[in-house]
Amino acid sequence: MNHLQKVIFWLSVSTLVFTAPPLSAEDNRPAKIKAAAIQVEMIQSDEIQLPAEFQIALYENLIRQLEKQGGFEHVYRDGDRRAASASDLVILHSTVHGFKAGSERTRKVTTVAGATSITIHCQFTSPDGQSLLNRDVSGKVRFFGGNLRATYDFAKKAAHVAHENFAPPDRRS
Amino acid sequence: MIRRSTAILSAVALAFAGFVISSANSQQSPQPVKAVQLMGLSGVKDNAKGTLKVEGNQLHFVHAKESSDVSVTSIEDVVTGADTQAAVGKTISTISIAAPYESGRFLALFRTKIDTLTLRYRDGEGALHGAIFTMGAGGAEAIKKDLVAHGAHTTAAEEHRTTPAPPSNPPGKEQRQ
Repeated sequence: MNHLQKVIFWLSVSTLVFTAPPLSAEDNRPAKIKAAAIQVEMIQSDEIQLPAEFQIALYENLIRQLEKQGGFEHVYRDGDRRAASASDLVILHSTVHGFKAGSERTRKVTTVAGATSITIHCQFTSPDGQSLLNRDVSGKVRFFGGNLRATYDFAKKAAHVAHENFAPPDRRS
Repeated sequence: MIRRSTAILSAVALAFAGFVISSANSQQSPQPVKAVQLMGLSGVKDNAKGTLKVEGNQLHFVHAKESSDVSVTSIEDVVTGADTQAAVGKTISTISIAAPYESGRFLALFRTKIDTLTLRYRDGEGALHGAIFTMGAGGAEAIKKDLVAHGAHTTAAEEHRTTPAPPSNPPGKEQRQ
């Protein structure tokens, strides 16, 4: 019986040791910024010459992914007048910092070459221009799919960043 | 003699007028262009096949017995570009994976030229939308000319048919199948 108690004791101790660090890490996670709505500005590419279809695909995919997994109650497009009356609004400014147009043909023939990549600086600001969060997000297509698939990859990652850092005012998770 | 020359002149003038009128009519109502809407048009699924036509002050995309319209005056930018797509379909491409010694990759070398048409427009609330279409080579420029003639705006110069690629890269125009 004593032996059984010892086993239970050590099992409990080891369980505590292994589960305690993740719990404490979760407590240390920074609180999410309160935001109920987001307005997506058109992708800017002043320094990098970006094909028009890439610019539009980035913008449209970004809006779709933010609606899908961003966690915002409203996602407004660039210039939407309804955003002016939205409370707890953040504005997403995206600027292209790097772009490498790969080749779908090269990818299909060689598998390893011809990757398309795009790097975009995402800045989340308040309506008065105060910077809330800055991140560089990249989108890539390495093996399969057309070049525009890189824009989908970017949008998914950017929406994930938004989801990780922003939450509606009434909940904190 | 004078009557005869007058008659000839009148006939030439009539023939010329007929030619001018017919060409003007053909500019006003061009044939619909087969196109694929890659993404962006409200209420239309990605990669929807249909026809594009400019009529009145509307750009019509007719697909599956439905029509999606964009007001030409709301279009802020029209850009055309050149692109390529795989010459073989997805089914053959998938089957070719099973070919011995990866010889199916040979099919990837065959590609056909296509045009892209990119639009930026605003809805009634002022919200910015974008739409991307692909179509057969030569089709995008005609649609663009029609749109501009009806009041659409464009930032790209008329001469630049293709969107310039970044200088560090070869002009790879393959963007999406």
